[in-house]
Amino acid sequence: MVDLSQYLPILIFLGIALALSSLFVFLPMGVSRLTGTHNPDAEKLSEYECGFPAFEDPRSQFDVRFYLVAILFIIFDLEAAFLFPWAVSLDMTGWPGWITMMVFLGELAIGLAYAWKKGALEWE
Amino acid sequence: MEFAQSLRLILPEEILSIGGLVLLLAAAWLGDKASRAISIASVALLVAAAAVTVPTLSGGAMGPDTQAFLGQFRADAFAAYAKLLIYVSGAAALMIAPRFFEQFRAMRAEYPVLLVFAVLGTGIMVSAGDLMTLYIGLEMNSLAAYVLASFLRVDNRSAEAGLKYFVLGALASGILLYGMSLTYGFTGTTSFAGIHAALTGQLSTGALFGVILVLAGLAFKISAVPFHMWTPDVYEGAPTPVTMFFSTAPKVAAIALTMRVALEAFGNQADAWRQVVVFAALASIVVGALGAIGQSNIKRLLAYSSINNVGFILVGLATATQAGASAMLVYLAIYVMMSIGSFVAVLMLRDAESNQIESIASMAGLSRTRPLLGWCLLVMMLSLAGIPPLFGFWGKLVVFRAAVDADMIALATLAIVGSVISAYYYLMVCKTMFFDEPADQVKGASDWAHWALLLIATLFNSPLGYLLTGWFDNLAGKASAALFLAA
Repeated sequence: MVDLSQYLPILIFLGIALALSSLFVFLPMGVSRLTGTHNPDAEKLSEYECGFPAFEDPRSQFDVRFYLVAILFIIFDLEAAFLFPWAVSLDMTGWPGWITMMVFLGELAIGLAYAWKKGALEWE
Repeated sequence: MEFAQSLRLILPEEILSIGGLVLLLAAAWLGDKASRAISIASVALLVAAAAVTVPTLSGGAMGPDTQAFLGQFRADAFAAYAKLLIYVSGAAALMIAPRFFEQFRAMRAEYPVLLVFAVLGTGIMVSAGDLMTLYIGLEMNSLAAYVLASFLRVDNRSAEAGLKYFVLGALASGILLYGMSLTYGFTGTTSFAGIHAALTGQLSTGALFGVILVLAGLAFKISAVPFHMWTPDVYEGAPTPVTMFFSTAPKVAAIALTMRVALEAFGNQADAWRQVVVFAALASIVVGALGAIGQSNIKRLLAYSSINNVGFILVGLATATQAGASAMLVYLAIYVMMSIGSFVAVLMLRDAESNQIESIASMAGLSRTRPLLGWCLLVMMLSLAGIPPLFGFWGKLVVFRAAVDADMIALATLAIVGSVISAYYYLMVCKTMFFDEPADQVKGASDWAHWALLLIATLFNSPLGYLLTGWFDNLAGKASAALFLAA
């Protein structure tokens, strides 16, 4: 059987998280009711999601070009995320590490060349 | 020095990845009109990769000399055997594709490139010596496969097949990763050799969950019951050359991977996973046999037939012996040739407007209207059913013999009963082709490449195949010895 006692720290952690998050939600509610600022209206009660209406028909038209740009962005963003740990550990990985990353960058460059030639970077 | 040695060991993968990237650029600059030339170049890449893989198998390479990148990658005889089967299936899927897609005006230069990358991924899967390598190979193959499944993008069924494959493939990856993280958490290592050493004696509950979840994730990929539900829909909807590829290369790779994980990484815990494998084997045989009976579409029928065949292959795994592993490898080779033959034959069924015919009823009387095609399909169906003079019988025989030698007589008996049930629907197809009034719908002429592949597959599955049994036993023996050296 698994020895459950070693998971006590995570239980305490979850208890603290639960207590704190309840406090964050209920304390402002209680304070606003007690101080008299509790004054709901339609705008305050609606959900906020980045400025877009939160609920609408999902079958709306969506320009696929946004998707293409987003996916190209994600690839190069992740490449940057890879480069940081690679750069600080280069003294340990040495030449094999350097060559491997150059191969990776070369593959990404080929992918970009393909997307460019296929016209993925042209908006019109 | 270690790094240079590793680079020499992954030569087949280097050929495929560099060649694939060059062809990708060629596809972008030359456009779709060059797709036939790119297909031919892709077949050449596969032949080159196979040529450098052959010495590894015939030399029976095994042991520490075959480990690249500190044991993360294994270039041993077992991997070489699986890779050669994969390269054959990949080349077949490339050769039959141009003619098929041209009738829909949908042949694109990306098809051969994606196929080369899918083959590269399956090659990495069978060479995995570490959970990380396993996952990279699996995803590399899967991502290319999702696109291939929906390659006829104006066809609704093809788009549906791609989406279904993607959603269920993502679910399978999630389950597999969950199992891998549990395994890592309870053993402290991701390497197969390390897990093998760590999992000795009594298995803790958490490690047991890890083992079971990893096997469940892999069962998705080999479409073993109860994780088979995506197979008929994907096989029916995907373009036929892609279906042929799905039923061969990724399946060979996933089965080889399951063997390596179960027999090597989890090799000390065979008693823990054996009951799971026995259940999956018997359930696959029964569902594959019963599910196919009601089918009217030949591609769906072949999908159930492939579920059925996976069940027989898993019977070999349940023995957890070297003889069982060797029998599985022999069965796999025969299964690949049966799949290639039957799907190429299905591809050649076209009506006067050269639309694909997929309903079994339209194949009525095929033996009188198209005798050669009818007889080739007959050989395939009877070989799949395992009727003695044909080569499919040999695959079943070696697997059952391994099960009996491992004292699993009840399992072998139940599998044989399942085999008899499945013979019913193969015989139904034969009866429709040979004894029903001709529907006279199959008209279209076929490419020479289709005929060549079909005739090779038919000869292989005919009684002439028995000339190869000694050769296959020798190669499968070398491959399974390499697998069991580490275990």
